[in-house]
Amino acid sequence: MSKAGVSGGGLLALVAVLAAVGASFAFLDMPLGALFTGAAAAEAADFVRRFFPPDLSPGFVARVGFAALETLAISLVSTLLAALAGAALALPAAGRHGRPARGAARFVLNLLRSVPELVWATLMVLAAGLGPFAGTLALALHTTGVLGRLFAEALENTPPAPAEALAASGAPALAGFLYGTLPLVAPQWLAYALYRWEMNIRMAAILGFVGAGGLGALLYYSLSLFHEAQASTVILAMLAMAIAVDGASAWLRRRA
Amino acid sequence: MGLSLDGVGLVHANGYRALRGIDLRIAPGERVALIGASGAGKTTLLRVLAASLRPTEGRLRVLDGEPWAASPAALRRLRARIGLVHQAAPIPPRQRVVTAVLAGRLGRWPLWKSLASLIVPADADGARRELARLDLAERLYERCDRLSGGQLQRVALARVLYQQPDLLLADEPVAAMDPALSELTVALLNEEAARRGVTLVASLHAVDLALRHFPRVVGVKDGAILFDLPAPRVGDALLRELYAAEGAVPESETDTLAPVDRSPLRCA
Repeated sequence: MSKAGVSGGGLLALVAVLAAVGASFAFLDMPLGALFTGAAAAEAADFVRRFFPPDLSPGFVARVGFAALETLAISLVSTLLAALAGAALALPAAGRHGRPARGAARFVLNLLRSVPELVWATLMVLAAGLGPFAGTLALALHTTGVLGRLFAEALENTPPAPAEALAASGAPALAGFLYGTLPLVAPQWLAYALYRWEMNIRMAAILGFVGAGGLGALLYYSLSLFHEAQASTVILAMLAMAIAVDGASAWLRRRA
Repeated sequence: MGLSLDGVGLVHANGYRALRGIDLRIAPGERVALIGASGAGKTTLLRVLAASLRPTEGRLRVLDGEPWAASPAALRRLRARIGLVHQAAPIPPRQRVVTAVLAGRLGRWPLWKSLASLIVPADADGARRELARLDLAERLYERCDRLSGGQLQRVALARVLYQQPDLLLADEPVAAMDPALSELTVALLNEEAARRGVTLVASLHAVDLALRHFPRVVGVKDGAILFDLPAPRVGDALLRELYAAEGAVPESETDTLAPVDRSPLRCA
C-alpha cells in the first residue's frame, strides 16, 4: 500500500481495464468520431422525430389494447404455472426427499434456469407454433427454474420444528407441510413470485420478436414496416403496463 | 394402554449418549412427573415416549404397540394418539390461533378435510372450547405472533387438548408462564388426564409443582433414572442428589422458573 492510499494492485487493475476498453474499441472498429458530428446529431433528431406523435387512431389503439391484454395474460399464466411447478420442485431440491431426489431436482432447475427466455421462446415456437401459447410455455419454463431455486433456498432456511411436531402427532406429510412449513415460507415465496411477475411482464413484451405473441409481435411488425408512430404507441403501452404491474405487485406485497 | 421401557438407551448421531438403561413402567391412567437438572435427558425421554425419537437400544412399548416394529402407516396411527406439548411452542408465527389449534387433529382428519380447513376452519367451535379452558377463547382469530410467550404456550397446549390423545406428554409446559398461571395449567393437565382416564407424563422445572400435582415422581439424572417414587416419599436428600451438579436444591418454584416472557412476540 503506497502513501497516497492507492494500492499497487488497484493501479494495475485500472490500467488493465483501460487497456481492455481501448482494445475493444479498436477491435469493433467503431467510428467514435462520427457519433459527435453535426450530421449525426441531425440524423438522430430526425429519427426520434419520426416516432411522434404516436398513432392514437381508434383502430390501432384497439389492436394495441388487445395485444397488451395478451401480454398481461402470458405473464400472469406463466408466472402462476412457474410458481406451482417451482414449489413442487423446491421440496425435493431442498433435500426433503433424500439426496438422490435433491440432486435430480437441482439438475432440472439448473437446466431450466440456464437456458434464457428468448431461447426457450424460439424452441417453443418451433415446437408449439407461433403465438401466445409458445410465449407462455417459454416464460413458465425459465421462471420455474428461477423460482424453484429461490423457493428451495427459502425452505432450507426455515425452522423444521413446526412440521416435525405435526409429523410427530401423526399428520400426513402434505398436511404437515401446509400447516407447519408453508406459513413460514409463504411471505418470501409470494415476494419472489411477484418480483418474477414484474420481470415477466417486460419479458412477455419482448417475446413477440421471436413470434411468441403479445405486444412484442406488434412492435416487431410496426418497426419492420417503418411505422414509427405505431411503434411508439406500442412502446407507450409497454411502459404503462410495466408501471401498472409494479404498482399492483407493490400493493399485493403490502397486503401479504 | 400404558407404557413400558426395558433397558432403553439412546446415543445421538454425534455420539452423545442421552439415555442409558431406562426401565420404566407406567400403567394406563397414571400421572407421572419427570424432574431433573437441564440436560439430564428429560426432553429426550419424552420424545422417545412420543415415538418421535427412536431409541438405539432396549425395548419400547407405547399404548400397547411397538412403534418401531410397526409399519409406517401404523406408526402414523399410533402417533395420532399421542399428544406432546413442546417446550418451545412449534407454531408458525403468522398462523391464526384457530388453525394452530385445529392442527392437533391432522393425524385423524382425512387429507381433504385438512386442506379445506385451511380456507374455512373445519371446527372453530371445537378450537374455541379448548381455548376457553385456557382463558384464550377471545383470541381465536388472532395471529399467533400477536400473542405473548405464555399465551403461545397455552395455544400449543390447546392444540394437544384438541387432539384428544390417549397418551398426554408435556415437556416443560409452563416454562414461559408466571407462577399463578403455571399452577392453573398444571392443574388443568392433571384434571384432563383424570377426566378422560389417559396417561400423563410431564417434565417440570418447578419441583414443588411436580410434588403437589403428581402422585408419582421420576428423577432423571445423567440420562438414567435416579429415583421413581410416590411424591410424598421424595425428600430433600434425594432432591439434593438429583440436582447435585447444579450445586443447589431448588426450594420453591419462583427460583426454578424460567424467566417469564410477557412481551409480545412479533416476527420481524
